[in-house]
Amino acid sequence: MFEMKGGYTGRVLCFDLSLKKARVDSLSEKEAFLMLGGKGLGALCLYRSLRGKEDPLSPENPLIVSTGPLTGTIAPTGTKFSIVTKSPQTGVFLDSNCGGMFGVQLKRAGYDMLIIKGSAEAPSVLVVDENGAELRPSKLWGRTTFETIVELRKEFPVHSFLIVGPAGERLAPISGLMTDDMRSAGRGGSGAVMGSKRLKAIVVGGKRPIEVYDPDGLKRAAWVVRRMLRLHEVTARSLPRHGTVNIIEAVNEMGALPTRNFQKGRFEGASELSGEKWRSGLWRADKGCYGCTIRCGKIAVLNDKWVDGPDYETIWAFGPNCGIKNAKTIAMANYLCDAYGLDTISTGVTISFLMELYEKGFIRELDGLRPAWGDDEVFIRLVEKACKGEDCGRMVEQGVARLSRKFPGSESFAMHVKGLEIPAYEPRAAKGMGLGYATSDRGACHLRGYTAGQELLGYGGGVDPYTIEGKARLVIDRQDEKAVIDSSGLCFFAFYAITLKELHRMVVACTGQPYKDWYDFMRIGERVYNLTRLFNVREGLTRKDDSLPRRFLNEPMTEGPGKGQVVELEPMLSEYYRLRGWDEKGEPKMETLDRLGLKELLGSNG
Amino acid sequence: MQTGKRLRLKRIFGEDGRSVVVAADHGLMLGPIRGVVNLRETLTRVIQGGPDAILLTPGQASSLVDLFHGRDAPALLVRADWTNAFRDKTYTLPARVIRDVGTVKVDDALALGASGIVVYLFIGLGDEDEEAKNIKTISMFSRECEKRGMPLIVEPLPMGERVTKANYVDLVNLSVKMAAELGADALKVPYTGDPYTFERTVKAAGGIPVLALGGYSGVTIRDSLEVVEEVMQAGGAGIVYGRNIVQAQDPGEMVRLVRSIVHEGRSVLEVVGAAKKGRISLRVEPAACVGCNLCTAVCSLYHYGKIDIGRARLRVVQEWPSGAKPVVCVQCGKCITVCPTGALKKGSKGNVELVEELCTSCMACVESCPQKVILFNEEANRPLLCDLCGGVPQCAEWCGTAAIRVVEEDV
Repeated sequence: MFEMKGGYTGRVLCFDLSLKKARVDSLSEKEAFLMLGGKGLGALCLYRSLRGKEDPLSPENPLIVSTGPLTGTIAPTGTKFSIVTKSPQTGVFLDSNCGGMFGVQLKRAGYDMLIIKGSAEAPSVLVVDENGAELRPSKLWGRTTFETIVELRKEFPVHSFLIVGPAGERLAPISGLMTDDMRSAGRGGSGAVMGSKRLKAIVVGGKRPIEVYDPDGLKRAAWVVRRMLRLHEVTARSLPRHGTVNIIEAVNEMGALPTRNFQKGRFEGASELSGEKWRSGLWRADKGCYGCTIRCGKIAVLNDKWVDGPDYETIWAFGPNCGIKNAKTIAMANYLCDAYGLDTISTGVTISFLMELYEKGFIRELDGLRPAWGDDEVFIRLVEKACKGEDCGRMVEQGVARLSRKFPGSESFAMHVKGLEIPAYEPRAAKGMGLGYATSDRGACHLRGYTAGQELLGYGGGVDPYTIEGKARLVIDRQDEKAVIDSSGLCFFAFYAITLKELHRMVVACTGQPYKDWYDFMRIGERVYNLTRLFNVREGLTRKDDSLPRRFLNEPMTEGPGKGQVVELEPMLSEYYRLRGWDEKGEPKMETLDRLGLKELLGSNG
Repeated sequence: MQTGKRLRLKRIFGEDGRSVVVAADHGLMLGPIRGVVNLRETLTRVIQGGPDAILLTPGQASSLVDLFHGRDAPALLVRADWTNAFRDKTYTLPARVIRDVGTVKVDDALALGASGIVVYLFIGLGDEDEEAKNIKTISMFSRECEKRGMPLIVEPLPMGERVTKANYVDLVNLSVKMAAELGADALKVPYTGDPYTFERTVKAAGGIPVLALGGYSGVTIRDSLEVVEEVMQAGGAGIVYGRNIVQAQDPGEMVRLVRSIVHEGRSVLEVVGAAKKGRISLRVEPAACVGCNLCTAVCSLYHYGKIDIGRARLRVVQEWPSGAKPVVCVQCGKCITVCPTGALKKGSKGNVELVEELCTSCMACVESCPQKVILFNEEANRPLLCDLCGGVPQCAEWCGTAAIRVVEEDV
């Protein structure tokens, strides 16, 4: 085991559920240098663990929990960890970035990464601490996430948990994972992967210190970041006060708030769902993760229930996207999805798809329910059925892509990319987002290539949302930045105020790794993006999978500032491949892999 | 340099070559934001603090001209262009593409009685034609300024779609050098965030005075003042603060504080009175705590050189479903009274001190602590006590919400 100078614990815990055996591997210093941690190291581990075309729900698909070198340190917002696995929803690479104490506790237990393979005989809980891991049978199978937290808390007062809800247990493709502090790794079906392993929860805790290479240097660098967060409007005021939904009115104004399954870009009830309305309405408290004072998290109170959120994406998915204007309905749906472990974006978009199927006459009713736009009562019943897996809920939990196959002719408005439902920005009114959705490694994702800040919100001086010129470069820059941020352990939101320069200083002080400058970090992001591309190519993805629903390509917007716009994807995609150093089919060229050191890193596996 | 330029620059920079400039030209770019709605009232208060210069748009300069009367009045700087670049979603109507145009001629600024004009230099725009136009505008200003003896202050700004999280500092330095080559007499530059990189920016200017600009205002006065201190450390000539001053509770006082750092070389800690002299004590405000644990993390880093939140000399109790409360040593002295050997005593800062040789490791202090914040170091066989970090408790320093704060004890 090599001597880690700081930041990393240098240890990787591998647990085989089938064999009930734990093994501790050492982290390679060189790999840590090249991939940083989190998403990057997780992606490398996943790439090597599989050969391609395995069933994501088979025992050989690993569930990887991966922290970054800054997770659990004094780096402000250093709370994040990544869930990395092959997605049962898309069949390709999945990383899901999550906050809260779980990643911090994993480091305190003495591990940078946790790799879970195999499948338990019976429903179990995996308890991880300084001494390794122990698999215990669990009677909590079938219980909601909230009930599970309460039960586990009795036995483990200070540990953190990562929990699968009933939806993940029954392998619903749109199920996610929840932590004990109600942060979620929602997207792409990591819940089903854990469910397929018959693992109800991972419990982790420990008391090991996290070593720091240069304590004073880290303190100075972190202090600068702390101050920068306090000097930026978004991190000092907008997010703390109005949460992530602070942008809803601006997005609506730009005609980019997808409404009724992306039929329109403006919602008549948007101002009723603004941050200020939530603040004076259902929200009762602010909530932040470890190391973070931004507190973008909000707690709503609904009758006798505490609801974590809802955040922008959730408010949109259940609100404008389904024609719902009532905040209470949205909060209730949020609560149900959290309790049963469904991804709110995917749930909302699948229900909006059903509503459009109904509108267009593909279906007449669902178990006696008529899913009309904006019908609160029917909507909540559908969410409930999806959560519990009852009747037509079985359709919802499949997600849009699988569902649309049952309705020939519905593909053009089945809003997904690679099987993952499209989130809350209309790409015809922000074309970089369109390219971002099409090329995101895990399927449609707003954060991997977040050009919306520039295209819609005017950040950094703004960018023309309707032109396709320069968008390939813009998307690549945003994707690479996000990939390295997700590998560091920091939260994306800190980067409204800071740059990779601050990340560079903190990582060097924390780890002692010899990064030359902050451009090295941009290259890590690029390396991660090429590696996940290699993974997806091996799974059989081709250029035609880097696409968008036909609604975006062929149906011009009917109103708003983006009236008449469609996404001219093909030219953007060709430029994107060229700038990425990928061939016409979208496969990374050998010289690109060589330049990034991936050829050497992957060796004969490459 | 011509006499006109020299005289006017002296109005801005004074004898020590440093300057505190208050920018109040926001209305043209951002609309009626807080602090500039009633500009006369705000500036009347600002001037009480004695700024060296005030930056205004031409329209406001003519209507507020009486504020600049008198021998000790601040110099007037005139904003000579307009841009939409700052209009993000925080303001009405986010910008779609950056545009910048000149609004007045140098002659107009002369007629207004200006001691200098300020123009933007954009770098990083997607549309390079726009960048070229911007350079042309600045060159024209530069030549006219030369003829009329008017100081030209260029404000280089990396903005637009080609700015990344990696190239930002290099773009600042590139544009600073470009501005110098275009004939700028002084620069108004975004602070790069830390004194190490900003020193390079100052060097890139090649001797032309560099004033750092502020941007959004800080959560506390201290946030803003730290930037001023670092800019001066890095060799900057001063600061241009807008919102940090015009949106301050007491703009005049804020100017005075900034002046004391820029012109008198005082430190932030001195200025905001964070360095407490006598006995101190910690107090908590549980409602303000968000449970981020930065306090415990920094406590352990300070004392052990590693992050070990479980061994911090305070703790954070998390509450469901949100919120938390910090539990700190409040220097109540219970441990001192229960210690059977007199090994504990009050230290000079008000902290509890351990006299090593008298300690018998009996654990009485650990067990009696009402806050349960005295831990026991098994290896050393000694209790771990809050030492108030030698007078600057790190937990309070790092707390972002003032949930932990330092109070001076009445002696």
